[in-house]
Amino acid sequence: MSKFERETHVINGVKTVLYTAGHGEPVVFFHGAGTVDGFDFAEAWTNKYRVIAPYHPGFGESGDDPSYTHLNDYVMHYLELFDALKIDKVNLVGLSMGGQLAALFASQHSHRVKKLALICPAGLIDPQNPMIDVLAVPGEQLVPMLVSNFDVLKKKLPEKPDLDFIGERYRESATFARLFWEHPGDPKFMRYLHRLKMPTMIVWGDEDKLIPVQQTETWRKFVPNADIKVYKGAGHLVHLEKPEAVEAITNFLG
Amino acid sequence: MSAALRFNVMHFMPYVHLPENHKDYKSTWVSFPNKYYDPHKGYELYQQYLSQLVLADKLGYDAIVVNEHHNTVYSMMACPSIIAATLIPQTQNAKICVWGTPPNFMLPNRLAEEYAMLDVLSKGRLEVAFPLGTGMEYWSNPVNPATARDKFRESLKIILQAWTEDGPTTHYGEHYTYRFLNPWPRPFQRPHPPCYIVGTGSPETIDIAAEYGFGYASVFVTQQRAAELNETLRQRAQSFGNNLRPDQFPLQTWVYVAETQEQAEREFIGHFQRFFEDFARTSPQYLAPPGYLSVDQLKQRAALADKMHGGFDFEAISKSFFIAVGTPEKVANQIGEWSVKMKTNHFNNVMHVADMPHWKCVKNLTLFAEEVMPRLRSRSSQYRMAAE
Repeated sequence: MSKFERETHVINGVKTVLYTAGHGEPVVFFHGAGTVDGFDFAEAWTNKYRVIAPYHPGFGESGDDPSYTHLNDYVMHYLELFDALKIDKVNLVGLSMGGQLAALFASQHSHRVKKLALICPAGLIDPQNPMIDVLAVPGEQLVPMLVSNFDVLKKKLPEKPDLDFIGERYRESATFARLFWEHPGDPKFMRYLHRLKMPTMIVWGDEDKLIPVQQTETWRKFVPNADIKVYKGAGHLVHLEKPEAVEAITNFLG
Repeated sequence: MSAALRFNVMHFMPYVHLPENHKDYKSTWVSFPNKYYDPHKGYELYQQYLSQLVLADKLGYDAIVVNEHHNTVYSMMACPSIIAATLIPQTQNAKICVWGTPPNFMLPNRLAEEYAMLDVLSKGRLEVAFPLGTGMEYWSNPVNPATARDKFRESLKIILQAWTEDGPTTHYGEHYTYRFLNPWPRPFQRPHPPCYIVGTGSPETIDIAAEYGFGYASVFVTQQRAAELNETLRQRAQSFGNNLRPDQFPLQTWVYVAETQEQAEREFIGHFQRFFEDFARTSPQYLAPPGYLSVDQLKQRAALADKMHGGFDFEAISKSFFIAVGTPEKVANQIGEWSVKMKTNHFNNVMHVADMPHWKCVKNLTLFAEEVMPRLRSRSSQYRMAAE
């Protein structure tokens, strides 16, 4: 994270750490339900944009707030963070659960989102092409499922996970469970996706083992104008496996 | 309660007919296929187990302890109150201890009513304990492990309010809303049956027991851990103004008595080994669903699991847990020693383990009642003085 600077904000009592670099229009990246993949890839955008990559409460370097029990709590959190950063309109990029959060934010506050890019976003209830229940898969089995080429992820993982690493992953899974244990799918999320009228791009890896690439067709029904790009030979973390996916988002942002 | 020694018989009612290929499964909990449950065999086992517990009452044991687990061969007591209700008319004197149903898996008013019914049915012989439930239960029941501890606290508050305040009352909480909390019947014992918290000694459960002045039934903890836990609980309870009695520290023990030491070990160890290796076999994922433990507790347990990966070693396990196996004299001495060391007069004895056949359990129950209990009771004043 050479280029990025670390900032700490306190948003509604919750310590919120973000990494930021670059100047220009803001691009905010929402990470997924784990943080081992990091933010390095987002450096590509710092030449033209003010990139802001926050850790969600309950993840990575940010603090905990057990009262966050629904993604809407995170929507409110980011409204307040954007206010604190004096950001009116943002370009939002979200990965997996962060993609669902970005889409939820954009469906509720469409006037504050200029462009929306979703990387293998979670959130659809798609009985023909269901997302796996990540809470039911042991962590050590889940990690290799994130990518097609494990070497890409391997360098971001410790050789032998120590107790701190294990504890941190457990903490993130606990945060995720608070949001999704009882209700992995929220039908109301899909009900308002038609409000995504801003320019929207969706990128996906065709070998995604968490959320089947066939969900792109379902997204197309909800968001007919979305520019959908599928990358061959890539898994769920398509942005790590295919630099051209990141480049496509760069071009989309303009 | 007087300071007399108290002996419980705790039963798990395991389903013992494991298929030959059961080792192919990493866990006999949560996901172990229920096609392997044969209800005809289950019927036979229930008959055996119930007769063992009825015998315990006749032999003069002070209490019978049943408990709740789900999706597992480890226990056929998914609903322990049903077992308790079955035992009540067949027993005379023994306390009936439902230790117990995790309140998170029931509506709190429903559990308050169920226990009140058992208390009235038994004319006040009921004792209850409130477990959070093992991690495994949260994979088997649709309850969020990450909010379980909060919900547990709120449930307890509702149950105690239901028992101690004249209804109707109201409760407006985070997890439950009661506009008319007014359960019928009310418990036979006033203000309510004796209560315990069940746990493995997490700071959160200790604090609940300390605050309410409840006993603490620790399960599956080492001798060292139990000693620390009891001391912590004693001090924490005092900080809430609660002075706990010795009988509020039930000590979970595994007991087997036979004519000679050699015979006792020969008759017992195989079953005990299968208890550890097969009936208690589960996975780290099932033990700690997300948010069930604090991150600190998770790390402590992960460190411990790393240390304990060796195979079954009876001698080592005997040294670290409370296991008394041998002649009546040896078992009596062992329990007497623990009574002093742990400052308790309350022994929660597991006397049937894993696939132990009926005759061994009957023999164990009988020898302990006729040969061990009299030895200990005759010395009880001496233990009491030492404990004090």
